[in-house]
Amino acid sequence: MLVWQLLLGAAFVAAWQAGVSAKLMDKFFFSRPSDIALRVWQMFAAGTVWGHLGTTLLEAALSFVIGVSTGVLFGFVLARNKFLAALLDPYIRVTNALPRVVLAPIFLLWFGLGIWSKVALGVTVVFFIVFFNTFQGVREVDPVIVNNARMLGANERQLIRHVLIPSALTWIFSSLHISIGFAIIAVVVGEYLGASKGIGYMISQAEGVFDTTGVFAGMTILAAVVLCVGAGVDRLERYLLRWKAHNTNTGSAEVS
Amino acid sequence: MSPPAIRFKDITKSFPGYTAVEAINLDVSSGRFLSVVGPSGCGKSTLLNMAAGLMTPSGGSVEIFGEPLNGINRKAGYMFQQDALLPWKTVLDNILLGLELRGADPKAAEQTARDWIHRVGLDGFADRYPHQLSGGMRKRVAMAQTWITDPAIVFMDEPFGALDVHTRLRMEGEILGLWAETKKTVMFVTHDLEEAIALSDEVVVLSAGPASHIVGVYQVDLERPRNLIDIKTDPRFTEIYGSIWRDLREEVLKSYERNEKV
Repeated sequence: MLVWQLLLGAAFVAAWQAGVSAKLMDKFFFSRPSDIALRVWQMFAAGTVWGHLGTTLLEAALSFVIGVSTGVLFGFVLARNKFLAALLDPYIRVTNALPRVVLAPIFLLWFGLGIWSKVALGVTVVFFIVFFNTFQGVREVDPVIVNNARMLGANERQLIRHVLIPSALTWIFSSLHISIGFAIIAVVVGEYLGASKGIGYMISQAEGVFDTTGVFAGMTILAAVVLCVGAGVDRLERYLLRWKAHNTNTGSAEVS
Repeated sequence: MSPPAIRFKDITKSFPGYTAVEAINLDVSSGRFLSVVGPSGCGKSTLLNMAAGLMTPSGGSVEIFGEPLNGINRKAGYMFQQDALLPWKTVLDNILLGLELRGADPKAAEQTARDWIHRVGLDGFADRYPHQLSGGMRKRVAMAQTWITDPAIVFMDEPFGALDVHTRLRMEGEILGLWAETKKTVMFVTHDLEEAIALSDEVVVLSAGPASHIVGVYQVDLERPRNLIDIKTDPRFTEIYGSIWRDLREEVLKSYERNEKV
């Protein structure tokens, strides 16, 4: 399968390259794979890209960590407290219905041009994905297993540790896949709208001078980073969910 | 005389718009194997859940060894009808869970759990996860998990309902063996009268729901240890079966009628 997948990618890139060479596609608008590859290579060789990449990854990591921890925490608390869940339900819906991009200018004003305005934007995306999945995961726990643990002597704290967390993990993990991608996208959007560093800033700079090769080079780097991080999450998931028969994603995510 | 292991005092349980059981008075003496039979939906499991403390009665009270029950019954273990093993724990971790939750020394707990794995015939399966086991093997794990904390009372809610006939017969034999060794009080719920008589000292028949009550309590004076394979052809077994079935039959017919009306 992998061979076929690689073949498809190679065919796509070759068609693109040929299309531009044959002047079917305008080089100004579409650039050329060979140019993009060369640009990526130059960026790494000259070392200019490291600072941008580091900034973006730091922002994404911060928003991921903050978003996941608050999301899991709120998910647990609300799933275990029916009153609080009912009380906050409409507000959570309203907040989640808000397109995140419109928050970016507000966060820029509040947190400035530095990393924290991007982290804030990333957190608003990651938080809701993780929150909804954790909430669902804790709610969906099999009542028979809960009763069994209680009969075996589990108190509330032990119940959370031995039953609720492992049960919710499936859901939380399926949300991590999505949220890690979205964390990166959100911070890049934030950088794009106003920053002095980062991949998003780099792309917007390139765009400002109609440098399509630069834009595509930035995109390539981003895609590679997201794939690598996703593979890492996959491995962690396979380890933590090794008790499952099949690793199917049962979770759903709400993203806007 | 010492108080009964379980005493139901005028127990009623209602759910919104529906009464499951009404005015139940029943004593289960210590060390007895008692079965509750009745047509489906007659509130057998409700009774068990109230004695286990998983449900609170709407009226009346439950006493465990003379003490009124408040919250979870700490003197009891429970084997559920459905799969209740923790799917994210290995066989070993599932079995030692009860000890772990009580804060037992991890080394000692593991040794005890390994002894139990041997006892229920699961040598070599300690590191498997429940989804890698057959239905019968999962029941063996559940058995060890329930028995390892040495509860004075064991509740069983049709624990072998989902098993094939032969596996079921073996598991019943093993349960009787365990019970004979430890002399725990067992309260066993089933809809299968043959199973109830074959295993028990005492059989309680509940009426068809809603608002089930006790129709009769029957003593089963078959000799122990029992040979479960041949017991069903024993003339005394047939006699007891006949006398209980006369009462149960009517309740089963009533529940059919009610279901048809619905």
